Amino acid sequence: MEQHVTPLEARAALDAIERRRMRVIDEIDLPRWYWWGLAIGWIALGFITDLGHPWVSAAATFAFGAIHSSVAPRVLSGRHRTGQLSVSARVAGRDTPRLVLAGLVGLAGVTIAGAIALQADGAGHPVTIASIFVALIIVLGGPRLLAEVRRRRGRAGS
Amino acid sequence: MTAARFDELIHPSTRLSVVALLAAADWVDFAFIRDELDLSDSALSKQLSTLEDAGYVNIERPVSDRRRRVRARLTKTGRAAFEGHVAALHQIVGEPARATMQGR
Repeated sequence: MEQHVTPLEARAALDAIERRRMRVIDEIDLPRWYWWGLAIGWIALGFITDLGHPWVSAAATFAFGAIHSSVAPRVLSGRHRTGQLSVSARVAGRDTPRLVLAGLVGLAGVTIAGAIALQADGAGHPVTIASIFVALIIVLGGPRLLAEVRRRRGRAGS
Repeated sequence: MTAARFDELIHPSTRLSVVALLAAADWVDFAFIRDELDLSDSALSKQLSTLEDAGYVNIERPVSDRRRRVRARLTKTGRAAFEGHVAALHQIVGEPARATMQGR
């Protein structure tokens, strides 16, 4: 049969294979609930910090970190957006957890800097306000970050 | 580098699409493949049975949320056959095989 396959037919078959690979790449994402959960947790943490009880803040931060650590290994790879398929590690790449975690560290810095600036400006509840701003970045920017990961993975194969 | 080996079992367009989807994933739900390829349940079952009989695909039936699901997964043999087939297609079009097409 191989002898009967023309270069044009072989090209069409390769294109079909690439389309399927791209379709699987489209599935690289984090579940929406992850971004919303993170944003809500971030605001809650900011609010608790504004209450001014260091021990409560420390306990809340620890709880937030513990919950995130228990969820992260499952979702941060970006390979299980839905229960319909598991994107292979080779297709998904290894960038996603690193990018998300680096983003979170950066956003923690933005929250602290924003809260300090707001406090210096005399605003009430500076950490809550800074956390709301960062929560918006998480909800709006998180999916964009993953879209960039998908673009990179798609380009890696083209 | 994978040795080029044209695989007549994989080459028909529907099976090629099924295997290409599976090659990019660890496992894929039956319903996802069916909807992506716009196949009926019976048509997809037939294709998967053919691939399973050849040792290219494993069919799993995990129970989740008390619902019976069916998942397909490419076996090592199936993955090797797919990669060999992709290499053969590249050979026919006269270009070097790319790792990408091999389910990277």
